[in-house]
Amino acid sequence: MSNAVETDRVEHDPVRTNVIETREVCRYFGTEEMQVIALDHVSLTIEKGEFTAIIGPSGSGKTTLLHLIGGLDNPSSGTIELSGENIATMSGTQLADFRRDHIGFIFQAYNLIPVLSAEENIEYIMLLQGISADRRKKRVQEMLAMVGLEGMGARRPAQLSGGQQQRVAVARAMASHPDIILADEPTANLDTKTGISLLDVMRDLNEQHNMTFVFSTHDEKIMERATRLIHLRDGAVEKDERK
Amino acid sequence: MLISLSLTALILTDGIILGMVELMVGGITKTIAGEVQLHKRGFLDNFDPDLFMESPGRSLQLLDSEPAVSGYAPRVITGGMIASTYNTAGALIYGVDAERELGVSKISDAIVTGAYLSGGEREILLGIPLAEILEVTLGDRIVITGAEVGTGEIAQELFRVTGLFEFGPDEYDEHLVFINLSAAQKLLAMNNGLHEIAVQFHDPEDAKNTRLPLLQQLNTDDIEALGWLNFNASVGAMIEMTNYSTLIIGTVLFLLASLGVINSMFMSIYERIYEIGVLKAIGSKPNDIIMLILCEALLLAVISAVLGALLALGLGSYFAEHGIALGEELEMEGVNITNIHPRFIVSQFVAFPIYVTLLTLAAAIYPARFASRIIPSEALQRSL
Repeated sequence: MSNAVETDRVEHDPVRTNVIETREVCRYFGTEEMQVIALDHVSLTIEKGEFTAIIGPSGSGKTTLLHLIGGLDNPSSGTIELSGENIATMSGTQLADFRRDHIGFIFQAYNLIPVLSAEENIEYIMLLQGISADRRKKRVQEMLAMVGLEGMGARRPAQLSGGQQQRVAVARAMASHPDIILADEPTANLDTKTGISLLDVMRDLNEQHNMTFVFSTHDEKIMERATRLIHLRDGAVEKDERK
Repeated sequence: MLISLSLTALILTDGIILGMVELMVGGITKTIAGEVQLHKRGFLDNFDPDLFMESPGRSLQLLDSEPAVSGYAPRVITGGMIASTYNTAGALIYGVDAERELGVSKISDAIVTGAYLSGGEREILLGIPLAEILEVTLGDRIVITGAEVGTGEIAQELFRVTGLFEFGPDEYDEHLVFINLSAAQKLLAMNNGLHEIAVQFHDPEDAKNTRLPLLQQLNTDDIEALGWLNFNASVGAMIEMTNYSTLIIGTVLFLLASLGVINSMFMSIYERIYEIGVLKAIGSKPNDIIMLILCEALLLAVISAVLGALLALGLGSYFAEHGIALGEELEMEGVNITNIHPRFIVSQFVAFPIYVTLLTLAAAIYPARFASRIIPSEALQRSL
């Protein structure tokens, strides 16, 4: 059964295409006796180029939804299509390839590989894609420039500030030229100034490259900049508003 | 650390066992028996003096012309009665070529009082315990009573004690006497006949090689040439057993090391579960994660193997030089062992580290598969 969804209808741009489509997605945790409903029949579509924020109180299912969209977890029921492909039918290897080529992740805790330099962290995903060394080096420098970290590529994560590490994480997410970037509380560990600076970088990337961003967040700064807000409460979409 | 120490323990254990076996084999083959013995067929069954090589010339020529042979010693062997003025005892009488024995046995080295045989007709060497039983000392008279070959007629000859020996094991010191070969041949009226030819090789492994052309040539319808493994089967069985014991010790050590590896790898995976979650989230395939963990295990194995081998080399060199004292004298297969000098060979430092490396990799497969199956969303939440 679908939940009632309050949606502010907007005129759809005819050139826009759906990159994310969830249909009646449910995710339950625990046993039958002690079942926790994390997501309850969530259906939504996100179009290419949207700068979407999934918001809601803690435990509302934001991160779970983001993980399901990113193929990091499997729904208990329902389907998720990314760029027209149903990820539930993919094998582990196919899903890994799909994530590598179509999805970029930015996590709250940056999650850079500590033993690799900033350049190597960005380069790693291109290595998985089988891109030649020359092209990798060139693109790494482009990505570092894009996030304002020129000259810092040789530094290890421990030698970078939190904001700089998150910029590296953004560059890593961008490096594979994904269709969608999923960001889980990307500014939660950053101070206000650094958070705003990072958001401006991501907004510029969104506007310049028409890249789709989906955030899970409590951060008002993100909400202000988002072109669409999806409100979750108790695992269901409470409100979906486009600005 | 566990892998290194297991490898060190295995190399040292194998070195000690190898040293012990070498000591035992050396004790058997170098003391008196030789590495190969030639007899008339059937002689070893009950030491029948009538079963002797009447014309050993062909065998001696073959041995003389074989460069692999380092020495050989012709012998006459018979049981007899040894009598002094005060007492009598039964003994196994060896008639030996004093000069040739120097290159085959350790009779000369075992002399503790008096002198080794010089070729004199009436010289006799007794073990100290036998001399005590007979209540004789250097220069005293001894009468040997035996039976002539063929006729079985009683033969007696007078000898004077020229030397007292002590090999260690009682079965040598209480029951063997040595006289010169010519005297023995004369006593038994066997002309140039021989009961035994003991042979030593430059490479002891030749004695085990039944396909060695020399051994095939020496073996005739009348004469059998046996390697020490054949005429001392109990030691062969013991060596076989020590090989199994090394295998068992190695298996136990490696099993413990494997459990250590699995535990270490799981600890490492759990410590980095978030990192692995991230790697999977950004597109690493399950096989990439497996390869990552196996590469880490390989690195761990190689470093551990090198450290373990180096530690074994250090400790092994020390023990090989200084030996390992057993505290009390240990008699094994007629050989008295008081000090073991472990023996180390190149293969221990090549094969065992390779086994350790392969085993570590095998032990890492399970943790690697576990890591490859980590669900990214769970990994990312677990450590947050």
